[in-house]
Amino acid sequence: MSKNLSYLSGKKGIVNNLFERIGEASIEEGTPSKEALKKLADEFLVGDSSTYGAATFYDFTKPGNKDKEVYICNGSACMCAGTQNALKNEIEAVVDANKIGHITCLGRCHENGAFQYKNHNYSNLSKEEIKELFKNQPFKQNDRYKVGVLGTPVLTKNTGRTEEYYAILDTVLNKQDSNKVLEQIKKSGLRGRGGAGFPIGFKLESAKNTKATTKFIVCNADEGDPGAYSDRYLMEERPHTLLLGMILAGYAVGAEWGILYVRKEYPESIRILEKAISEIRDLGYTGSSILNSGFNFNFKIIKGQGAYICGEETALLSSIEGQRPEVRIRPPFPTQEGLFNLPTVVNNVETLASLPFIIKNGGEAFDKIGTEKSSGTKLISLDSFFNRPGIYEVDMGTPLKTVIDNLGGGFKRPVKAMHIGGPLGGLVPVSKINELSIDFESFAENGFLLGHASIIGIPESFPMIKYIEHLFSFTAVESCGKCFPCRLGSVRGEELLHKAESENYKIDRELFDDLLDTLEQGSLCALGGGLPLPVKNALMYFEDELKIYFN
Amino acid sequence: MKVAYIDNQAYKIIEGESILDFLRRHLGPYPVPTLCDAPNLDPFGSCRVCSVDVALEKGGKTKALASCHTPISAGQYIYPDSENIQRLRKNIVELVLTDHPLDCLTCEVNGNCALQSVAYKVGIRDVRYPEGKNHLDRQKDLSHAYLTSDLSKCINCYRCVRACDEVQGQFVLSMAGRGFDSKIIKGMDVDFSGSECVSCGACVQACPTSAISDIFESKSLVKRDTTRTICTYCGVGCNLDVATLNGEIKSILAPYDAEVNQGHTCLKGRYAFSFYNHPDRLRDPLIKRNGIFETVSWDEAYSFITDKLTYYKDNFGPDSIAGISSSRCTNEENYLMQKFMRAVIGTNNIDGCARVCHSPTALGMQRAFGTGAATNSISDLKQTDCMMVIGANPTEAHPVTGVKIKQQAMKGKTLIVIDPRKTELAKYADFHLALRPGTNVAVLNMIMYYIISEGWVDEAFISSRTEGYEEYKNEILRLDVEEMERISGVKKELVREAAQAYSAAPNAMLFHGLGVTEHSQGTFMVQLISDLAMVTGNIGRKGVGVNPLRGQNNVQGSADMGVQPHQGAGYLDITSPEINEKYALFYGVNVPSEIGYKIPEMFEAGLDKKLKAIWIIGEDVVQTDPNTQKVIKALENIDLVIVQELFMTETAKYADVILPGASFFEKNGTFTNGERRIQRVNKVVNPIGNAKPDGQIIIDVMNRMGYKQKDYDAESMLEEISQIVPFFAGVTWKRLGINGLQWPVKPDGKDTKIMHVDSFANGAGKISYFDFEESAEIIENGKEFPYILTTNRDLEHYNCGAMTRRTNNVLINTEDVLLINPIDAGQNGINDGDMVCVESARGKVDIKAQVTEKVKSGVLSTTFHFPEIMVNNITSDISDSEAQCPEYKVVSVAIRKARKTEFRNAGEMTE
Repeated sequence: MSKNLSYLSGKKGIVNNLFERIGEASIEEGTPSKEALKKLADEFLVGDSSTYGAATFYDFTKPGNKDKEVYICNGSACMCAGTQNALKNEIEAVVDANKIGHITCLGRCHENGAFQYKNHNYSNLSKEEIKELFKNQPFKQNDRYKVGVLGTPVLTKNTGRTEEYYAILDTVLNKQDSNKVLEQIKKSGLRGRGGAGFPIGFKLESAKNTKATTKFIVCNADEGDPGAYSDRYLMEERPHTLLLGMILAGYAVGAEWGILYVRKEYPESIRILEKAISEIRDLGYTGSSILNSGFNFNFKIIKGQGAYICGEETALLSSIEGQRPEVRIRPPFPTQEGLFNLPTVVNNVETLASLPFIIKNGGEAFDKIGTEKSSGTKLISLDSFFNRPGIYEVDMGTPLKTVIDNLGGGFKRPVKAMHIGGPLGGLVPVSKINELSIDFESFAENGFLLGHASIIGIPESFPMIKYIEHLFSFTAVESCGKCFPCRLGSVRGEELLHKAESENYKIDRELFDDLLDTLEQGSLCALGGGLPLPVKNALMYFEDELKIYFN
Repeated sequence: MKVAYIDNQAYKIIEGESILDFLRRHLGPYPVPTLCDAPNLDPFGSCRVCSVDVALEKGGKTKALASCHTPISAGQYIYPDSENIQRLRKNIVELVLTDHPLDCLTCEVNGNCALQSVAYKVGIRDVRYPEGKNHLDRQKDLSHAYLTSDLSKCINCYRCVRACDEVQGQFVLSMAGRGFDSKIIKGMDVDFSGSECVSCGACVQACPTSAISDIFESKSLVKRDTTRTICTYCGVGCNLDVATLNGEIKSILAPYDAEVNQGHTCLKGRYAFSFYNHPDRLRDPLIKRNGIFETVSWDEAYSFITDKLTYYKDNFGPDSIAGISSSRCTNEENYLMQKFMRAVIGTNNIDGCARVCHSPTALGMQRAFGTGAATNSISDLKQTDCMMVIGANPTEAHPVTGVKIKQQAMKGKTLIVIDPRKTELAKYADFHLALRPGTNVAVLNMIMYYIISEGWVDEAFISSRTEGYEEYKNEILRLDVEEMERISGVKKELVREAAQAYSAAPNAMLFHGLGVTEHSQGTFMVQLISDLAMVTGNIGRKGVGVNPLRGQNNVQGSADMGVQPHQGAGYLDITSPEINEKYALFYGVNVPSEIGYKIPEMFEAGLDKKLKAIWIIGEDVVQTDPNTQKVIKALENIDLVIVQELFMTETAKYADVILPGASFFEKNGTFTNGERRIQRVNKVVNPIGNAKPDGQIIIDVMNRMGYKQKDYDAESMLEEISQIVPFFAGVTWKRLGINGLQWPVKPDGKDTKIMHVDSFANGAGKISYFDFEESAEIIENGKEFPYILTTNRDLEHYNCGAMTRRTNNVLINTEDVLLINPIDAGQNGINDGDMVCVESARGKVDIKAQVTEKVKSGVLSTTFHFPEIMVNNITSDISDSEAQCPEYKVVSVAIRKARKTEFRNAGEMTE
């Protein structure tokens, strides 16, 4: 979180971007050469320790990524589905083991067996298909999942002809004051869909009120939560809802740039967004003085390089700047000092994609959907444990049971719990299904978290000790390492659980509780701070299964 | 009044302060334990041990928040040590100890380790976790001349990384990898010596453990006695805490409460101290007999000197004797030396090193503003919007100020650099005007042309505070901008943009160095810089002004004390009868009223045999003054050469008598830094061998020549000075305190941060125009010697290098090199590392080439720190028309690959 590095990176503008250049320098060999990093350091005046330090952080630019070609998904859904060992064996049969790496969640949770090869994602391929793939040129595999809606289609509705979909822009940019746009957004009660549920109106207003020559709307499309692929759905199937949403947010704030930070794990999303941006550029909906309104708004896609922490908004900003994506302290809030130390609104894909509905139908129309405190709709990602895996849009407040039974068609095989809302979401035992509805409050009140509303089934056969060890391990791997509790606590927790699971060792329960408490109270961000929630859920609801590992 | 509560007790809050600062204000400096927090770094929030419980109502539901980066809000209830918080802290520290060697008893920082003290404060008794992954096997890095690291002791608090960034701005340190395996790196994971580290030691001071340290173990508590004093290496005036054990200097740290340097300093200040007891130190007086120096007693030396001086004075008159005082010495000593020359010898032949560096600044600014000193303070950098740095390379020559400028530039403030070389600051500049050496006046006139022709002027300031503007304006509007563009080699559009940026800034600061003064038009250029400030109204408030970066630690002070042939103590005009009377009355003897010799005139007089004796204190004129052979000849021609020195310098070799002086560690006194700050120099150790404080030596000679002067004592000397130097009126040893006072100091002790607030010392500011004139060097020698050599300084060495070459700095920077552009190198068949013969009209020297883009084609650059090169053999004795400051910056030379190709190595360099 170096202010100097933020400024120096920003001095070059967003077009010539340091992080993007580090990524480009990694394409050939999987990691940038030291010469390339030195050159970049000299060009951006940031010192070679900065470029090297940043490059070594990411899965796809670190030295260990050298020569990697195939990345096998190790996300929670694929793990629970138990598809990955067989997949690994099959790929190893045709590819040198040194060229195989890991990747965490390709968002193919609906069919598993996921991996990435030469910038394309694959899932659920047969042995023959795998052989074929590595023999010949990579082919494109369109994955299939169900999309359904129960209630108002805010996000899933087909956008139709692009010109018609963007027609609202003329009205807004040429006839409406930006304050009015902001007002509608505030009225809608829209809360951030990335996990924290923070009202977007506050962010937009704060950025609007901060004086600066340049402001940014940043779309957090780093959908790293294993089990979630609703953002991927929006980017690939409804890109214009997102792009229009960003333009509207930009107009409300007075921002000239819309930056889409899309994870490299979603190559198809990047390709589709690029195409969509190019389409609206040709139609004059982005660029200088859009529709002669005097309002400028340009898009820039920044490709992530493999780091879950970049889903945290301040880490994401540091990442764009080419700094190490370490979580920043707040204040200053991004809306005051964000990207390049300039006012920046960071919001998740689904949040921004909700804005066109709000502006087209009015804030009140949106606010009417859902519950009093959780307005609007929510996308749910159902994984392969459901009979009908896919993306479902429901009004906030819809009972969880309805989602599972009516939309998901029930479970394919017996599960004992669901991990809902990403790795930091709660572990919901099946016994609690009837008590929950899809909204922030219901989950929070019951000691869970709506989060990203992704649902992963944990089969009855899967040992809970292994699942919570997996959560600690995930956090240990993904921790940025800045704050002491997360950097050290995640590893020590993983070690304790592993030792208990694999040796004749019993964990001191007081020590373990102290560890959870330290993570929860002490961590700088929600990664370390959120980990204890599912672990505590497990300890509470699966006490019988887990007590043999503790003193 | 807004309040918040600490343990239910109400305390006043300051809007925007952190909870930690709030607690500190009310509970003292250490209200809660911290690990990642450091006095000169921004809050970071990594360690979390500063967490406190915060509730919105008394006894209400609490939330643990890191106090270092959470702002306090009115009505909050803070529980800094609740049971919950105590447990949290203990648990965090326990985690830290799972990956830390528990070898405190044998650790370098035992007793002075933040982790250790936090561990005992939170009451850790055992580490409950089973042994797991750790980093205890990390190897030590002992590669560097000063810095060391043992990252097995690193707690990942990032203090070193942040110090390297926020304090020095070097970005040598960062973290690599992520999570548990993230580790501190230097450069791209190389060792210290292979990195681009500038050895400032900010990381060492910032590190809370011994993970990063230095060869002096500066954080060890073994050395208990600490003396605060002022660095002798440049005009910044860094405060140093010098640790001693049994009368020996062990290490140096920079005090955080120093207004000048806030816990920072450079490698010269922090590490280059071991010269002070180097075997080469002169320990006894020496007299040269039959070409050989013989050790003599002080008595013998004094008798020898006084007999001869008396003889010359009686037989050839007082003006046959001259003195060169030293800007390395204290104000008190400089005052004594000029007093000795004027009151005891009876001549105004007294001059100092300012002659060869900032004499044009003093003269030029006196002409413009009435006072020849910086108008503002360095701390004003925080308030400024634009910095224009002309002919200065402060990140090398004034490192602490240099990095402050760089820090502001990195935070988005406009930086304009006018310099022929691509200096460190030029890299960060918004505008770099890379002019041909010697064309400062042309470029400044272009700037003024645009400012005036575009109307970017401050009419109100011009009309109310200045005179001469109309004439000036008429002249400047006649300027042939295209011609100036051609002469200077700087595109006029770029000049226009820079001029606009400077004049548009609400507050703009000017800095200049020897790249302005060491020119034939040096004084004129200083006057033009002053014009620029006045015409745009950038005088008399915070964040503006004309701020010369004074070179030597006390060059400001030596001139203040009267070490000048035309002005006595306090810049009073010695030719004025009234002043003469005043001095005569004060000194109790008649004093001369004719202007004496400037340094170059002393050498001329020596060559003419008019000068019989010269007393040179702490100035290596042979190595550092231009045209070495001429200087040597002059010294050979002078009957009595007295050199008072620390080492057998090139100049000392030509002495008849050598007097061993004391280094700044060995005496008391005051230095005045470049922002007019008079600071206390405190004796750290006794003078080595039989060496004496320079002031005492002068006093001994004064007394022996019949003038009564009390023994040297800083406090009473300062009292005497305050009675004659008007702007020292309120200065007393006691009042100076730890951070000194900036002159003028009123009788009541009130000092002055900003000068010329309401009026100038001379009434109206004088605006003057000067045409560009090509240097005689170029006109006379430019054809035959087509390249221009300019001489500069490197970070690691100080001036003639007599001190820094006797420290480990010589392991970092081993020799003077010639910077040459790849085009020029190519055209002359010169490769990186080749020896190059550089020849001027005066002579030639061989220097090793360093092929670099730092200089543009046609321009060469080198330093003069090593006597092996003696680059001043080729510099010219052309000097500033007004102040006679030599033109070191413009030397016409020819180059060719030298026949000699062997490299020298560092071992041969040291004496």
